[in-house]
Amino acid sequence: MICADLKVVRLILYLSWRDRLLCANSDMQQSRARLFKEYKEVQREKVADPDIQLVCDDTNIFKWTALIKGPSETPYEGGVFQLAFAVPEPYPLQPPQVRFLTKIFHPNVHFKTGEICLDILKNAWSPAWTLQSVCRAIIALMAHPEADSPLNCDSGNLLRSGDVRGFNSMARMYTRLAAMPKKG
Amino acid sequence: MQNQNDTVKDDAELAASISAMKGEEWGCCSVEEPSFQEDEAAKVPYVGDKEPLSSLSAEYQAGSPILLEKIKILDSQYVAIRRTRGDGNCFFRSFMFSYLEHVLESQDGAEVDRIKVNVEKCRKTLQNLGYTDFTFEDFFALFLEQLDDILQGSEESISYDELVNRSRDQSVSDYIVMFFRFVTAGEIRTRAEFFEPFITGLSNTTVDQFCKTSVEPMGEESDHIHITALSDALGVAIRVVYLDRSSCGDTGGVTVNHHDFVPVGTNDEKKEEEASAAPFITLLYRPGHYDILYPKVLDDVEK
Repeated sequence: MICADLKVVRLILYLSWRDRLLCANSDMQQSRARLFKEYKEVQREKVADPDIQLVCDDTNIFKWTALIKGPSETPYEGGVFQLAFAVPEPYPLQPPQVRFLTKIFHPNVHFKTGEICLDILKNAWSPAWTLQSVCRAIIALMAHPEADSPLNCDSGNLLRSGDVRGFNSMARMYTRLAAMPKKG
Repeated sequence: MQNQNDTVKDDAELAASISAMKGEEWGCCSVEEPSFQEDEAAKVPYVGDKEPLSSLSAEYQAGSPILLEKIKILDSQYVAIRRTRGDGNCFFRSFMFSYLEHVLESQDGAEVDRIKVNVEKCRKTLQNLGYTDFTFEDFFALFLEQLDDILQGSEESISYDELVNRSRDQSVSDYIVMFFRFVTAGEIRTRAEFFEPFITGLSNTTVDQFCKTSVEPMGEESDHIHITALSDALGVAIRVVYLDRSSCGDTGGVTVNHHDFVPVGTNDEKKEEEASAAPFITLLYRPGHYDILYPKVLDDVEK
């Protein structure tokens, strides 16, 4: 707890320092105030949502990373996946940009860039979402792939042709290769 | 990073969001491509200046005679039109300006007190629905702040010009639009049974899904469901005048239809009286878009 408090103090100091530098930009003030509230909420929710570990960059509140656990009974089970968040200045009117840093074989995630195809990150975004609830939505997407709007065509085609076993084994292999800590 | 569509120079917000993202190596699809509609919309301010209705007829010079006939009728009833940007938020934006302008001009402190009570009810509604406070409180605070600023006598009270400026400033204007979207979604969700038939008739989705995809996201267009919900939630009547090609002439002549959205629950006598008068917000609807209309003399419009 002490550690978290120190971090809050550091953030406050940092924010007031930045306010003085950039006080003209109200978009940025609004988004920063909101992100700060999310930061406090994340500290509170840590215990409630053990599948998500959301961390703010030490020096930039517009940059976050998250570690999410692959949902059980999916080929991602047992894996830990890292997400990168870049929050735009007009946040929360505009969505954060999120991508997988950990390689993942999933129809709605670009295999090379990690870009995610999810409506709430595009046209269905609203400020009612938070970084934390976006993580939950991404976990839900991992468990329920939308094969009809694929960013990863190979993965989408396997599912669309009904080859669930093929899809599962590919997804499982990449989970083992990229999302699990190496043993021994 | 720059996408194919290079005609976005005017769109300052978009440019800002792109520049904010620079330095990041995102996939090409991560930067949202502006649609044609957004390009066009960016050339019009969020809220325009008052214009005479002749500017409306000029738009339809070569158009349908029915429309020109209707505009002539409008011209006899209304002095001016104020256009809003066609960015999908035009109903909420028109409502925002029209309402705040009314309060500024009337200095109706009782109305401000009344709507504040309703705003607090909306806040409770969202809390009961399980919305996290911090996701909507900034939007509520900004709207309440405008109400206080608009009433003269306080230190921060603002002029008419300042109201126009704020309505054109994204960080105020979009926040208030979003406030209305929260209020609208809250009203629809708590009265799901009432709204469900309208929603399934319109889009064949659930009430929750409708709110998530068609009410809460910015830029999603409004129709009678949104208008009814907002009017009910805030207790503000709205008149919508329809300018379309329908010729509704049972009697042979062309008439202009309007519909008054009168909030439910106006029980006590005083409110009923108010409800029977013409709403102080009048919007002009043309298929796909709302602008603000200014009646000539308030009392004459009813006749």
